[in-house]
Amino acid sequence: MLMHIKEEMINKLCKLLLEIGALLMSSGANSSRIRITITRIANSYGYNAELLITHRALMLTLFDEEKDYFFSRLKRTSPHGANFKMVSGISRMSWKIVEEKWDLNQIQQELERLKSLPHYSRLTTLLMVGLAGASFCRLFGGSYIDMLIAFSATVAGLFIRQEAVKKAFNPYLAIFFAALSSSVIAGATVKLQLGTHPDFAFATSVLYLIPGIPLINSLSDLLDGNLMNGIVRGMNGLIIALSIAAGLLCAILMYNI
Amino acid sequence: MDWFAFFEKWIWLGFAAVGFAILFNVPKRTLWVIFLMGALGGAAKLLTLSLGGGIILGSFAGALLVGFLSIGAAHFKHSPPFVFAIPAVIPMVPGAFAYRMMLGIIRLTEQVDPNSFNQLLDDTVTNGLKAFFVLMALSVGVSAPMLLTRRESAKEMKVPLKINELIKK
Repeated sequence: MLMHIKEEMINKLCKLLLEIGALLMSSGANSSRIRITITRIANSYGYNAELLITHRALMLTLFDEEKDYFFSRLKRTSPHGANFKMVSGISRMSWKIVEEKWDLNQIQQELERLKSLPHYSRLTTLLMVGLAGASFCRLFGGSYIDMLIAFSATVAGLFIRQEAVKKAFNPYLAIFFAALSSSVIAGATVKLQLGTHPDFAFATSVLYLIPGIPLINSLSDLLDGNLMNGIVRGMNGLIIALSIAAGLLCAILMYNI
Repeated sequence: MDWFAFFEKWIWLGFAAVGFAILFNVPKRTLWVIFLMGALGGAAKLLTLSLGGGIILGSFAGALLVGFLSIGAAHFKHSPPFVFAIPAVIPMVPGAFAYRMMLGIIRLTEQVDPNSFNQLLDDTVTNGLKAFFVLMALSVGVSAPMLLTRRESAKEMKVPLKINELIKK
């Protein structure tokens, strides 16, 4: 009977740990953070954890050295979309689990709470990312009119990307659509020679799409020695860069600039 | 140096970092810290560039500053350091170099007239190499505090400034 309860508990712990790992992976954490977090939680319950991390799946083995008992499970991770609220929440939770000896139900509740946390409203996101695009344009040396062009191109492109993601297009295709619409808007001003440096607005209108998280995580995984993950993430970043370039190229061919 | 232009750039650098922070859905309490860190990191990069360092050295200096600030910020706002560090260095990510390299590669597949071929190949290779090395500098800079102190978590690190006590007073 006791063995049965223990089995159920290790089963549940394994499921929760994999869910935490999958959430971290899809929220944009690097591999060593996933490994450290999962090992920390497993150790606080007195188990050792071994983890295989790949881009689209996680494999976890929990074992108890005294009883020679082990448990393995595999989980697919969902497609990636950065969500640092989740990463931050899980990191705080992992310390609370160690310090306050949480039970498994508490972890489950906290995960549900973290998943239900709201994102920034769509309007806020569009406006702030548009402002970031305008800032880039200013930093490149554009005037206020160029900033306005970069702002509107960024807002329109991000809107198109959100819609494409909502309609479940392939993520790279969604980035291509966004890059195309941004550069078509900014390219029109280059063609018509509006503003003082429309070429700056054209170059900065797609900067909000740059694969910053995949590329930085790629290099930090490579530095950690997780070569496989580093290469896979880097390749993902390069394909995103390729989609952006394809969108830009289409606009350049359309306007012949 | 024109100080007004320099400080104006700070503001734009800060907004660029905050824009990405919102895109990555960071916790609200960290936003103004990210604004400051983005501005300071970008300023360190601009300062290095104006002192004659290249874009790679400049990005390294900026990322190093952001990396060390992110440890303090992590203790201060109770979030992992990379939640601050990544949005703050994203404006320095060589996205423009990366997609220019891709544009170059796409153009190289077309029929290029031999006179401009060398120029195009040269641009493509330069942009690609710059993108790679700037990225390398950024990630080494951001993870430098972890690498130097040989800790796995920022929580085990003592922050010399005692920011927490200052806040409590």
